[in-house]
Amino acid sequence: MLGGEVMTGSWYHIAKAEFYVMTSGFRKHRAIGTVLLYTLATVWASYLAPMIIVGILEIIMPMDVMRTLLMVMFPGLMRTVILFLWALLLLYPLSYSLQEIKIGQWEIYLSNDVKTKDILAGTFLGKMPLYGLIVILVAPVLISPFMAAFEVPLLGQMLVYASLAFMVISTLWLANFLTSIIQARLGDSSRGNDIAKALSFVIALVVIIPMYGLMFFMPQLSELLGMDAFLIMPFTWPADLVSWIAITFNGIGLTGGQIIGFASILKFDIIQSAILTVTFGFLWVPIAIAAADRIFTIGAGARTESVTTVGRDNIILRGIRRVAKGPFGALTIVSLKDFGRKAQNLSKIFYGVVLAIILPIIIRQMSIIEGEIFVVDEILPMISIMIGIVGVFPFAGTGFLESKDQLWIIRSAPKGASRFMRARLATGFLMAVPLSGAPTIAMIIMFALPPLLAAQIFISAYIVVCGAVMIAMGATAQNPDYEDTKSPAHQTVLMTSMLLTEFTLLGPLFLDLFLTLGLGIDVLAVIESVLHVDGLWFMITIVGPSTLLFVGLAMMTLGIRSLGKVEV
Amino acid sequence: MTLARNGVSIRTERLNKAFGPVQAIRNLDLEVLSGNRFGFLGPNGAGKTTTVRILSGLLRQTSGYAEVCGIDVSRDRDSIKAITGLLPETPGLYSKLSAVEFLEFIGALNGQSDEKLHRRIDSLLGVLGLEGRQDDLLESYSSGMKQKVLVASTLLHNPKLVFLDEPTSRLDPSASAVVKDLILVLSEETDTTFFICTHMTGFAEDVCDVIGILNQGGVVARGSPQEIVDSAGAGDLEDAYLRIVGGKVDREALLAWR
Repeated sequence: MLGGEVMTGSWYHIAKAEFYVMTSGFRKHRAIGTVLLYTLATVWASYLAPMIIVGILEIIMPMDVMRTLLMVMFPGLMRTVILFLWALLLLYPLSYSLQEIKIGQWEIYLSNDVKTKDILAGTFLGKMPLYGLIVILVAPVLISPFMAAFEVPLLGQMLVYASLAFMVISTLWLANFLTSIIQARLGDSSRGNDIAKALSFVIALVVIIPMYGLMFFMPQLSELLGMDAFLIMPFTWPADLVSWIAITFNGIGLTGGQIIGFASILKFDIIQSAILTVTFGFLWVPIAIAAADRIFTIGAGARTESVTTVGRDNIILRGIRRVAKGPFGALTIVSLKDFGRKAQNLSKIFYGVVLAIILPIIIRQMSIIEGEIFVVDEILPMISIMIGIVGVFPFAGTGFLESKDQLWIIRSAPKGASRFMRARLATGFLMAVPLSGAPTIAMIIMFALPPLLAAQIFISAYIVVCGAVMIAMGATAQNPDYEDTKSPAHQTVLMTSMLLTEFTLLGPLFLDLFLTLGLGIDVLAVIESVLHVDGLWFMITIVGPSTLLFVGLAMMTLGIRSLGKVEV
Repeated sequence: MTLARNGVSIRTERLNKAFGPVQAIRNLDLEVLSGNRFGFLGPNGAGKTTTVRILSGLLRQTSGYAEVCGIDVSRDRDSIKAITGLLPETPGLYSKLSAVEFLEFIGALNGQSDEKLHRRIDSLLGVLGLEGRQDDLLESYSSGMKQKVLVASTLLHNPKLVFLDEPTSRLDPSASAVVKDLILVLSEETDTTFFICTHMTGFAEDVCDVIGILNQGGVVARGSPQEIVDSAGAGDLEDAYLRIVGGKVDREALLAWR
């Protein structure tokens, strides 16, 4: 800590600055906007959400049936719900903060003699309004079915939401503490920022996998989370506390036998769960405050001081140089080097490969859940539809241009934008090989695929990934975000690319539907009678990907034009 | 290659550029002769960078006429780009490439990838004192070293006309001296024209043979450094600049905020 006059209440000013940054989108109406948002959220949480969710559930099945079902799955489901909230609160702020290292701001705080614990408290409180709002919106959706099923009265509901509020606050404190440690370790260097962004994507994967679990493995996961091993997980304690409050305050007259049944699953009673929840929550407060002086330090770490010297081109690059001579080959090699050396790009490719490997597992699981017999041959159309997303993700918005100044340099060369885009596209096509190869290899191992089918799956996946890459790069060129993954431009490019890819792949099916309903022409039947192949298979594996390639080419052409245009 | 017409490299007539309500350039008339080292001086926001972007074919003017080496900037922008080099105001380098790789990238963008390019890269990096660090990633370079790499990238394809936007703003005195000498040698030996935007009056005085002072979108003074100093009745170019553009604040005003 620096000496001199100590400012009081610095945490408040830091929190206020964080809040101002967060609400800069509606800064002209900040006060009224915030009040309005929280009022609407409160109405949603206290009235609309329970009414809508319970209404929808009652349409699906009568409350009596649902109550019986919930009674059986209740503790496991509650743990799943709280795991989701906990992961969201712990990992989303971490992932979001890592996208922009803020060491420079620490330098300002410290040079103004702000106490480190004030920095910790200020940055934590600054996050509260946004994440508090998210929880107010999400929690009632997840909790109201249980409250309705157990007919928990107002007092019980208030205790449930108080427990949730405590879990939210303590988890956010922990997330803020962990974020600060990681930011301090990485430092405010080009490399630190790159690693931070890479981590932010890998962290997102940790959220994605439980979400896939929630979507596709609900029964197995609930059963799994009922296991004793989960009693040591911090999210289990608030979940069990909420479960016990609902059981204790139930309005449906649970019998002693039923309560003993719940107790045998939950293991810890309400007091033990409450003590563990509160202890874990408060444990991090003194730890974080004690560590604050060590975290918020400025200084060039090992990472910022290290210098990376590049070596000789590897065998792949030398091969490309031999095959593609001239400026195009040189640009492609430089483009590959630039893409491959950024940790955030590699983490996105890794992310894509993991998603691609998960795909066949999900497809098989879906077949099992729906009671169908799993037929390996039927996997091809499903892979075609789903792998488009894998192709879009690593190339939409990122791995393109670092700054507008780079764009000026590229544009200042004759036909510079066109040459640049063609080289980037070649990079994308090369990166599509592992993205398409990963699920193929996974399926060969899992289902012992015959070579011909494996080749078919690889080629089909490769074509779809290449089409998706062209769409993503074309969309990015039309609206570059200069590596700012928090920007609206990035979100727009990502969503546009995802939706365009999926709608293009499924477009021919919609067309067939409209033609059948409107004009009575069943295109699938026509295909079957003319080509003697399965109409649906042909549409999804041949027509969809072909259309995707055309749309991709169109997007690339528009992207090249947009990138090379003369500014007005 | 298109050559300058009648020995004129740059000519503008009543050139205007407006960004919405902001008039960045106002009726700009300019003439820069071949082989000149033209210094474009002016305060922040005067329209220097906008002028350079229009002349290098990156930005469309609102009205008026401009030609570079005899080529209309509204018509054949690729031909202009082929014979000009641009050093942008802020460095737009690729952090994960080495200096050699970045220069290969710039060369390839300009359609070059042969041995001649590699020889030129080695020579330029040697001249600029980067030969020992040429294979290090640019993320580890200081801002001065990055600026040197950008200077090299601007000269790489041997342009006839070079636009330099604040070439020495991030350089230490010795590196500035190297760039200064490089400009003088290239101008004298190869008849290359330089159009240099700068705030540094000392640099402009040493390097430029003609200076134009831009203020609020229009040229308010033009001539050799000595002519400008004499016409303003000043002691040196900095004094002349301050008299023409304004900006001198008395000592009392400097402390008024306390």
